[in-house]
Amino acid sequence: MQGWVTLALLLSLGVKRSLAQNGLGEPRGLTLNPDLPAQTLSLAWQSDSTLFDLEIFHTEFMNVVLNATVEVQADPVTGLHSWTWHSPLPLECTSHSVRIRARNQQSVSQWSPLQTIPGWDIPEKSYMFPEDKMIPVGSNMTFCCIVNEKEDFKEIKYGRQEMKATRLSRRSYAITVTNQPASDNTGTNVICSSQKFQMLTGTVVFVGYPPGDEGLVCETRDLASAECSWKKGRDTHLRIKQSLTNYTLNGRDCLEANERKTWCSSKMWEENWTLEARNPLGTVQLTDSAQLTDRVHLLAPVNVAAVKVEAWSATLQWSWSVAAYKKLEMVCQLRLFAHELSSTRNYDGPGLSSVVLEGLWPDVDYTVTLRCGSKHSFWKWGDESAPYRIHTKMDRPDALDVWMWMDSSNTGHVFWKPLSVRKSHGALNGYEVSQSSAEEDGRNTVSLPPGNFSYPILLNNSSDVTVAVAARNPAGLSQPSTVTTPAYRADSQLSVSELLGTNGSFVLSWEPNVSASSGYVVEWFPTGCTGLCPIDWKKLPESDRSFTVNSDSLVAGVRYTVSVYSLYTSAPTLLQRWQGYSQEMIPSQSVSELSLNQTGSDVLLSWKATEMKQQRGFIRGYTIYLASAAHLDLIANITDPAVQSYRVKGLTLSSYKFVVKAYTSAGEDAGATVAIKMEMDTDMLFVGILVPLGIMFCCIILFSIFFYKKREWVKKAFYPEIPGPKVSGDWSSPRGPLDVKPSPHSLVHIVKNPEWDFTKEGLFPVPEEEEESENDNMEVDTDSDEPALLRYYNQVVGDGSHSNQVSDSSASSTASMGSTQTEITYAGIQSPSSSQGAYSGGGYRPQMQSVTGPAEPQIEFEADFQDDGLNAGYKPQCSWQLDSPEAENFSGSLGSPTSVTSSQFLIPESSEEKPQPSNTWFHNFLSGKS
Amino acid sequence: MEGAADSDTPVPERSAADRAAALARLLHRDCTRLLELYKEREDFLSQHAPGGERLVTLALCPEAPSTAEQVGHVRSALRRCMELLECLIVREVEEMGEELQGEYESLRKTVKDRLGHLLHSTGALLENGEGGCPPSPPMQCIQGQDEVEASDSFAAKIWTYKVLLELIHWTDSASQTLHVFHTEKHGQQQQQQLL
Repeated sequence: MQGWVTLALLLSLGVKRSLAQNGLGEPRGLTLNPDLPAQTLSLAWQSDSTLFDLEIFHTEFMNVVLNATVEVQADPVTGLHSWTWHSPLPLECTSHSVRIRARNQQSVSQWSPLQTIPGWDIPEKSYMFPEDKMIPVGSNMTFCCIVNEKEDFKEIKYGRQEMKATRLSRRSYAITVTNQPASDNTGTNVICSSQKFQMLTGTVVFVGYPPGDEGLVCETRDLASAECSWKKGRDTHLRIKQSLTNYTLNGRDCLEANERKTWCSSKMWEENWTLEARNPLGTVQLTDSAQLTDRVHLLAPVNVAAVKVEAWSATLQWSWSVAAYKKLEMVCQLRLFAHELSSTRNYDGPGLSSVVLEGLWPDVDYTVTLRCGSKHSFWKWGDESAPYRIHTKMDRPDALDVWMWMDSSNTGHVFWKPLSVRKSHGALNGYEVSQSSAEEDGRNTVSLPPGNFSYPILLNNSSDVTVAVAARNPAGLSQPSTVTTPAYRADSQLSVSELLGTNGSFVLSWEPNVSASSGYVVEWFPTGCTGLCPIDWKKLPESDRSFTVNSDSLVAGVRYTVSVYSLYTSAPTLLQRWQGYSQEMIPSQSVSELSLNQTGSDVLLSWKATEMKQQRGFIRGYTIYLASAAHLDLIANITDPAVQSYRVKGLTLSSYKFVVKAYTSAGEDAGATVAIKMEMDTDMLFVGILVPLGIMFCCIILFSIFFYKKREWVKKAFYPEIPGPKVSGDWSSPRGPLDVKPSPHSLVHIVKNPEWDFTKEGLFPVPEEEEESENDNMEVDTDSDEPALLRYYNQVVGDGSHSNQVSDSSASSTASMGSTQTEITYAGIQSPSSSQGAYSGGGYRPQMQSVTGPAEPQIEFEADFQDDGLNAGYKPQCSWQLDSPEAENFSGSLGSPTSVTSSQFLIPESSEEKPQPSNTWFHNFLSGKS
Repeated sequence: MEGAADSDTPVPERSAADRAAALARLLHRDCTRLLELYKEREDFLSQHAPGGERLVTLALCPEAPSTAEQVGHVRSALRRCMELLECLIVREVEEMGEELQGEYESLRKTVKDRLGHLLHSTGALLENGEGGCPPSPPMQCIQGQDEVEASDSFAAKIWTYKVLLELIHWTDSASQTLHVFHTEKHGQQQQQQLL
């Protein structure tokens, strides 16, 4: 252990020796000089070197806050090296220690002994630094709080913001605030509090801007001194007295200037001006340069007065408060205000102090203000004088604008327009109307109060009347205006043209008239107006050929009659007349008296046009709609407004609602509605039913008559007499089969019922197809010259035999074909007498219908067949089969001359037993049976 | 204001003590409102109530003073409050200038005027200098400000807050004491009338 210590001592001595051998001496006499408000620490030392390593610590925790190498030359006078360090932290926050050593490239001297400046965290009190600092907006700052010995630190708040603190020493804590915003009026509070949530201490920081003043301008008011003004720039946000901006003008304090007053004066004019604005955060300099004569800003004229006031002019005088103005070439501006109208007049001259105001109006209140400026090198208008009031005198009124409107051939009104203030030249007392005619001598004069603007005219005879109207005011009577009665011309006597408005106005033009030596008059009034109508007119010079009636005097949707008269020395002559709307609108009322009339499936709609007042535009036509639940379907558009009916055709039986709308160029009116429920036309219904019935009835009668009269022919044609059979020989002798040679054209078919119906007994008709097929099957037989034999069997026709045919028709057919004989089964031959005669001894017995079921027919058939064979003779059937096929198929064989079957045989005697088929009526008809 | 109604409403035969008590109540409300306005401006005061010594302390008075002596005691305190308020106004005007004319500045002037009226009224109540405490030594405006461990501006804010607290405290004391004084006077007058 002792060996290691010895080694370390030797090494340290070796290092010291090597350093000493470098020739770099340790800096000497290091002194620290803190500037607490500036947060700077000035270091001074002695050394032969110029390069130094510096280290600055927070003493208590020995945290290095600076480690730098600096090159510092020695002061040639004192031989001291000095260097200043700006601390980001207030030096009061904690103790700072400094050491320094010399450096020559890689060689360094020994560190100087630590020099320490004590912080304020040594006394037993609470402090906060920096105190009441003023800093620019956006700057960063470190605050520290030194906690009382007995307290525990909790937090530091910057305004309302809690900041993260770092510990500098046992009792000192710091926060750093960056980019600080502008403070309120009394600064930003920084509060340090303890764990007990009790405020320990605090400080205030004032964050603001340096002065931002700009625009220095100097001028003279008295042609000797100077007044300089400028514009206040942005708010410095510094309100406390020691932070306010101070001003100096050309180096002299400008005490009158402050945050509100931004001007400063100087007793003498100087051509160059410099204003310096300074606050703790900065300084700004403003400059201006000008000759005195270029910056004359005159004071206001004083003692302004009107010395002579007439109706059309006045003389104004004033004086100046500065004597030097009397020699100044100046320009003055007078501003006249009257009835919300103003005019400006300029006058100039040296030391101007009076002017004559021309072109005033009589009986008008004027307010005059006056301001002046230097004529040469005009800088700006001087201050304006106080307003001065002038009232001009009255004068006689101007002549009236007079027109006469005739509403009939002998009655009319003379109208005149009220005089404006500018033309009356004083309050009017009234009007004087005088009337004269060529046939009467003298004038009739009437005085009217000032509120009248018309006077009725009555023509007693055919001569023209001339009316003169004059206005009177206290200053006298105006020149009379005359007008002669124009000839009355009703609209019906003229071809009144349609006039279309243009942007709410009427644009008129007319052909020039040579007689219009005194010009023209355009007159317009609402069409149809009578009595005291709102007549308006405009007198035009003879050179005019067109005129626009402005929309101001027109009402939209009102029809106007517009006339143009030519003026001459005698009565005005009507040149042209129009009627029109300045602006068409949709009719205010729908068509009236809308009605409908049904004629069959047609409906006739008819209506009447609305009155002219409600039309509000020229009716261009009508639209007819069929109204449904949700919408209107246009069914007609009548473009001729004279047409006031419409026929809707081909309507079915239903309910309909029709809407008729009149339309102008502005659009359709709301529409009038009429509804109808279409009803049946009873006359046509009767005609439709009875006529076909009558025709049919007549046809039946005619046919009946025809057939009745031609009944013999009909009978022959359709029902010829069948000759009765001629019986010769002995019918009763031979016993056995009866072979009959049928006619070659006769076919008797074996009844084949495709389906057995045990409810139907007897024979069934053979369908055509079957008949043909059987014919096909019988080709062999038909081809032979030998007629086929008809063999009649004495057999009992029963259900079983029939059923057998149905169930096995092919077998039956084969059996029939095999015998080369056609089996004919008569349903019944009603010849009881002969049969009785024939079988009187042969044991005739009538055939009985089998009552056995359908399962037994084959057996029964065979038994019957055997029985037939035993009997060996003809057995007439005892019963008549209603549904005999021959009976049903009778029509098929009707008319055949070789028909063996006879209806007489087949038609049952008693029809009431079973219903007859529907196709038997014609047969009955022809057979004469009912 | 309610207080204004109290003081301005003409009440027949209303005694001077009663009027002084009503004025003290009104002044107490004004001072409370003035402190609220100051707290709105310096909002840290709402979160951190400064501690420290009272600004207005009076010389020792008898242990069981009469009501009249209590009125005199309170009046002496109000007089000290008046001096502090005047110092406060001078300081604020000097620091901020006359430009700021908000509700705080307007009410500050009102309080000063009404406090002057209250001092005059209570002085009139105390016949023959009755109840007066020993005169206090002349006060310096900086009194109390150096006790605050903070920067000048911050210490001034704390001091202003304390002055306003003193005003609230002593105007409240005045209203209560004057009310008792009025009640006693009224009772004595009734007894004299009965006799």
